[in-house]
Amino acid sequence: MPREIEPSLNEKQFVLQALQEKFRLDGRQFDQYRPLELTFGDQYGVADVAFGKTKILAKASAEVTVPYADRPLDGVFAIATELSPMASPAFEVNRPTETEVLLSRLLEKTVRRSGALDTESLCLVAGQKCWSIRVDVHVLSHDGNLIDTACFAVVAALRHFRKPDTSVEGGILTVYTPAEREPVPLSWLHSPFCVTWSFYGDRGEIAVLDATWTEEQIRVASCTISLNRHGEICQISKLGGTPVEAVALLQCTSIALTKAKDFSVFLDKKLAEDTKKRNIGGFMAELRSENDR
Amino acid sequence: MAASTEPEAALSVLPRADGSATYAHAGYTVMGSVNGPIEASRRDEHPYEAHVDVIVRPAAGVGGTRERHLESILQSSLSQLILVKNFPRQLIQIVLQIEATPENDYVNTKLVQASLNFPVVPALLQTAILALLSAAVPMRETAASTVVAVVPQGAKRLLVDPVPRDLEAAHSVHVLAFTSQDELLLAESEGDFTVKEWDEVYEAAKEICCRPRTLDEENDVGPDLRHFLRTTLEEKVAEDLYWK
Amino acid sequence: MATAQPLYVLPGDTIDPSLIPTHKKLPLRLGPGLRHIPPSAIVPTVAGQLVADHKKNSMWVEYNGGRYIPAPNDLVIGQIQRSAADFYFMNLTPFTSNATLPQLAFEGATKKNRPQLASGALVYARVVLANRHMDPELECVSSSTGKAEGLGPLTGGMAFDVSLGLARRLLMARSREEGKVEILELLGAEGLAFETAVGRNGKVWVGSDSAKTIILVGRALRETDDGKLDVDQQKKLAKRLIREMK
Repeated sequence: MPREIEPSLNEKQFVLQALQEKFRLDGRQFDQYRPLELTFGDQYGVADVAFGKTKILAKASAEVTVPYADRPLDGVFAIATELSPMASPAFEVNRPTETEVLLSRLLEKTVRRSGALDTESLCLVAGQKCWSIRVDVHVLSHDGNLIDTACFAVVAALRHFRKPDTSVEGGILTVYTPAEREPVPLSWLHSPFCVTWSFYGDRGEIAVLDATWTEEQIRVASCTISLNRHGEICQISKLGGTPVEAVALLQCTSIALTKAKDFSVFLDKKLAEDTKKRNIGGFMAELRSENDR
Repeated sequence: MAASTEPEAALSVLPRADGSATYAHAGYTVMGSVNGPIEASRRDEHPYEAHVDVIVRPAAGVGGTRERHLESILQSSLSQLILVKNFPRQLIQIVLQIEATPENDYVNTKLVQASLNFPVVPALLQTAILALLSAAVPMRETAASTVVAVVPQGAKRLLVDPVPRDLEAAHSVHVLAFTSQDELLLAESEGDFTVKEWDEVYEAAKEICCRPRTLDEENDVGPDLRHFLRTTLEEKVAEDLYWK
Repeated sequence: MATAQPLYVLPGDTIDPSLIPTHKKLPLRLGPGLRHIPPSAIVPTVAGQLVADHKKNSMWVEYNGGRYIPAPNDLVIGQIQRSAADFYFMNLTPFTSNATLPQLAFEGATKKNRPQLASGALVYARVVLANRHMDPELECVSSSTGKAEGLGPLTGGMAFDVSLGLARRLLMARSREEGKVEILELLGAEGLAFETAVGRNGKVWVGSDSAKTIILVGRALRETDDGKLDVDQQKKLAKRLIREMK
């Protein structure tokens, strides 16, 4: 497969020079995100998120399975990130690149390990039946900052998702179809968001948020901070690159908190809008299913 | 299911691919991207023509043999449409990402193993053609495709664009595609059927894929796909050439 | 030029013979997006607007989008990938196979004295040879005059990506009248000092002493392209950007 080509020398030099003069190519501030767009699908658990030209679709789905033998009281929760050549021809199917591995590890740490989803609530019959929740992350267009976008998409999809309602009577499990009972939301504990800083300069003194693909290719280091709106940090990862001063990192974290709050407010607003829109549709749908019978 | 009867499409939706399109019809929504002609890997290189690479990705779950089967069907059809001889040793890469499939409210589906099937083929093929046109990949002609199910009873024995519940009852399912020159491009069938039934299916599918637009719809079988393709493209071209 | 009613075509459409220009002396020339199937059929291969020029006895399909396909005499901006004994391997668009640029195809270059270009450098060049069976070949010197005529390595500045349609319009001899793109002239008239090089492969190089100016020109190009701005909107955009800069 052809490899991704690096930016030209002119581009590298210019982007750096501009950053040193406090300019970004698209005229943004250093701590400014590109315009965020979020649309939910017609079905539950589908979220389409775009930061500028980066576009990611996340889809949540649920299925009843057998729990792991060593964790009989927990459900199964997995996030699948497979980068397809749709994002860039440099990605090949079934051959994970470094980007893909790092992305899935970070999402794992941010969403799964931080206990955002209450996996115990997914247990149906201890040791025998549980829900398996799966989120598929599809990168549609890659213009940098996949991590923040993917994390936002996963959280949005899971909070939008409804799983089929169930009941257990006398040890017999019944899973209701959407026509029989309205599906129910997941037991969601907190919403973590990723905020990624890119660093430039010899000592990493220039810090920039939401880097585009060109900016990402030139950075000397990056640091992803995952946190929720309460300021609870789930993880910080800075994988190699130029060392960055601790004080600067502290400042990055406090800015990250304001961003996480912004994201949280935005997501809540969008979810509320969607529920409102769905209410009318839900009523209509009910009428129709009556007629069907 | 609130399946739209008229198809919807948008072109060049992905800024970084050479060409892209979304297409929604009969409950299916597919996003397609096209990159090419690009450098082919040594394995795919063909000295006289371009290699057409089709990748089908399910909305949820991992792809398996069914997706590989669909890919091979689409690959052979699209290679007929694209002027592959224009780009020897190159690769034209088509990625089709399924975003939504019609839901059956009466059954809880298993999703971890995605099970794609024939009814998705028209949406995939249509998306691929739109994306190829958006990428301005030279093509011999365009095509339209539809799916027809033969059901045991009911008012209509042949069902065009069947919903999942009809498919469960269907004896056989057929996917057909016709080029813009009214030639049969693709015919795949599944299930038990007689030659007579197949002939009826062929006529019905040809009617949909090749029929010109008529205003009075006595027995409306489906949308006018060819007209739809033309109007969608005309809008896009007019927008692109706004400066003309 | 274009007829009153634009005629849109799809691949495989039949073209009405009355639309095909006829000329007593000149042979009929087919431009991009058309193919000739012997004996006499002319068939579009892309979706676009059919345009016929009766004076030059030529016809083509006008469209925007897709990947750049090299054609002789196109001006392009390439990026040096690596150098071999006598050639530079150049990249014109991402993921395509390399084009070659002979090291002697520069103004005044000799075996002993030729430009040393590092990998990653940008070069403004002309396509000499483009053939489906071979990698395209470029040159930075006119073979007839031996002069560079503005071609050669681009130092400093920044390369911006634009759509192929905009690149084509910027390269038109009368880009303002025919291409309806005036943004660069407008910014120049506002007192910005910069130079540009436009490549048909969808790249515009902007050079200036001031980083601010380069960013502003880049944004102006991108907004003109993405927003599909007409001349009046371009005027407004230029004014707005200049105001923002101050």
